[in-house]
Amino acid sequence: MTRLITAIKDKRVDQINWRLGLTKARYLILGKEADKGLLFRAFIYLVLIDVAYIYLNPILFMIVTMVKDSADLLDPSVIWVPRTIYLGVLQDAWEKLRYPKQFSISLMLSLGVAVLQTISCAVAGYAFARLEFPFKRFWMFCLLLTFIVPIQVTILPNLIAASQLGLMRTYWPIVLPALFGHGLKGALFVIIYRQFFSTQPKELEEAAKIDGANVFKIFYKVMLPLAKPAILVVFLFSFVWTWNDYYLPSMYLNGVKDVPLSLGISQISAMLSQQAAEFGPSIFDEPLKMATAFLIILPPMILYAFTQRWFVEGVERTGLVE
Amino acid sequence: MAVKTATDKKVAKKRVIPASVTRKLEGSIFAAPWIIGFLVFMLFPLAYSLYMSFQQVRILGTGIEITPVGLKHYRYIMLENANILYNQLFPFLRQALIMIPIILVFSLLVAIILNQNFAGRGFFRSIFFLPVIFTTGQVVREFMNQGEGDIGFIQRYNITSIIGQNLDPTWASPLIAVMGSFVLVLWYSGVQILIFLAGRQTISSSVYEAARIDGASPWEVFWKITLPGMVPFILLNLIYTTVDLFTFPTNPILTQVTSANYGQSSALAWIYFVIILVFLGIVFWLFSKAQKASGLAANK
Repeated sequence: MTRLITAIKDKRVDQINWRLGLTKARYLILGKEADKGLLFRAFIYLVLIDVAYIYLNPILFMIVTMVKDSADLLDPSVIWVPRTIYLGVLQDAWEKLRYPKQFSISLMLSLGVAVLQTISCAVAGYAFARLEFPFKRFWMFCLLLTFIVPIQVTILPNLIAASQLGLMRTYWPIVLPALFGHGLKGALFVIIYRQFFSTQPKELEEAAKIDGANVFKIFYKVMLPLAKPAILVVFLFSFVWTWNDYYLPSMYLNGVKDVPLSLGISQISAMLSQQAAEFGPSIFDEPLKMATAFLIILPPMILYAFTQRWFVEGVERTGLVE
Repeated sequence: MAVKTATDKKVAKKRVIPASVTRKLEGSIFAAPWIIGFLVFMLFPLAYSLYMSFQQVRILGTGIEITPVGLKHYRYIMLENANILYNQLFPFLRQALIMIPIILVFSLLVAIILNQNFAGRGFFRSIFFLPVIFTTGQVVREFMNQGEGDIGFIQRYNITSIIGQNLDPTWASPLIAVMGSFVLVLWYSGVQILIFLAGRQTISSSVYEAARIDGASPWEVFWKITLPGMVPFILLNLIYTTVDLFTFPTNPILTQVTSANYGQSSALAWIYFVIILVFLGIVFWLFSKAQKASGLAANK
C-alpha cells in the first residue's frame, strides 16, 4: 500500500519536474507576462533599432556628406565612410552664413521669445486652470480657436499693421506677441500649462491662502516652483521652434541684411538653385546645403543633449495632456 | 482694547467687497494679458482679413487703397481658377488622409514600446524625441529635397508600378507620394509620441496588475485596457496631427498666401480655414460615432 503511494508520488514528482522544465523554457522564451520573454524582447529591439536608424540616418548622412571632398563626392563607391575628412565646405558654409553674426541674432531672438512665452503662457495657463474670471468658457473657446487658426490667416493684417506702425524689418512683430502669451504656437503652451496646473493638488493653494498669501504670492511662491517640468518643456519647445522657424522672419525681415540662421539657410539654398540654373549644378551644392543645415541644428542639438534627461522626465510628469 | 476694535473695523471695511468679486478680479488680472493679446494679435487680424477678403486692396506709397468687390475673390478661387485651390487641395487632402492614420498608429506603437522597461530605454527615448526638435524647420525640407525620405525597398521591389497598375490614379499618386516620403511621415510623429507617452502614464498600474491576476493575456490587456484608456489621447493626437499638417508653412496651399494680392490671399486663407474646420468636424463626428459603436459592442 505504502509502496503504491510512493510510486504514485514519484511519478507525480517526475511529471512535475518535467513540466517545471517546460514552463521554465517557456518563461525564458515567451516570458511570464509576455512582455518579459526573449522573443518579445528581440522584437522590441528590432523595432526600436529600425526606427532609431530611420531617425538618425538623415543626420548621419548630413554629417558624412558635409566632410566629403570632391574626389569622394564623385566616387559612387564612397557612401558612408569618406576617405578624407575635408572641412572646406563647412568653412565655406560658416562664412556664407556669417555664422557668428547670424548665430547671435538667432540666439537673442529665440531666447527672448522663449523666456517671454514661458512666463506669459504660465500666467495665462494658471488663470485658465484655477482662477475665476468673467466669460471664462468663452475665452476657453477662444484659446482653442487660436490653436487651430493657421498663421497665414492672420499674417497679412499683421503685416499691414506692422508696416503702418513702422515695425517692418524689426524683430518687434515676432517678439511682441510672445509677451502676451501668443506668438508661435503660444496657444499650445497655454494649454500645456493649463493641463499641468489643473492636475496639481488644490490643498497646497488652500494652505497658502489660509497662511495669508494672496493670489500673486501663491502663483509665484507655490505654483511656479511646482511647475518646473512644464516650464522646461515649454521653454525647450519655444526655443527650438523659434530657432527653426523661418516663416515669420521671412515675412517681417524681408530685405534685412542681418537675419536669423533659419532665414539665412533658405537664402543660401535659393542662391544655390539660382546659380545652378545659370551655370549648371556644382558637386559642392549638396555638401554646402548639408553643412548649413548642420550648423543650424547644432546649437539646439547641444541644448537638447544637456536638457534631455529633465525633458523626458518633464514630459511624463507634466501630464502634457489629460 | 481700542487697538483691537480698530483692526476689527479695518477687517470689516475690507469685507465690503464680496469674496467672489475679489476672486474674479484676481482671475481677470491673470487672464488680462492673454485676453489683450488675443484681441490685438488674433481677433483683430482675423476680422480684418475677413474684411479684406471682400475688398480689392492696393498698397500704395501714400497709404492703402481699398475698393469693395463683394464675393469676387471667392468666386474667382472657387469657380474660375482651379489652379489656386483645387489642383493643390485634393492631392493634399488625400495625402493627409493616408498620413494621419500612419502617424497615429506608428506613434502609439512606439509610445507603448518606449513605456516598457528594458535596457537602454533612456538612450532610445532621447533618440525618439529628436524629431520634436527638427521637424519644424528648414532642415526637414532639405532632407525632403535630398530624397532622404524614401525607404529603400520601394525601388527595389518596384512597388510604385504595382500600386500604379492596381489602383485608381487619384489614390495611387498620393499613396506613392506618402511612401516616397515615408520616413518623413515618421519624422512628423515626434510630438504625437510625446503625447501618447504622457497619456500612457495616466493609466494606473494597479489596473494592469488586476488584469494579470485575472489571467488576461497581454493581447487582451492591450485591447481591453490600454486602448480604451488611450482613447482621449488618440482624439487629442488626431486634432494635433490635423492642425499641424494643415498649418505647416510648407503646405502647398498656404505657400500661395503672399503679400502680392492681399484681398485674394485673405479669401484663400479663409476658404482654407473653413476647410480645416470642416475636416476637424468630420474627424470629431467619425470619432464619436466609432466610440459609440465600440461602446455598444462592449455592452453586448
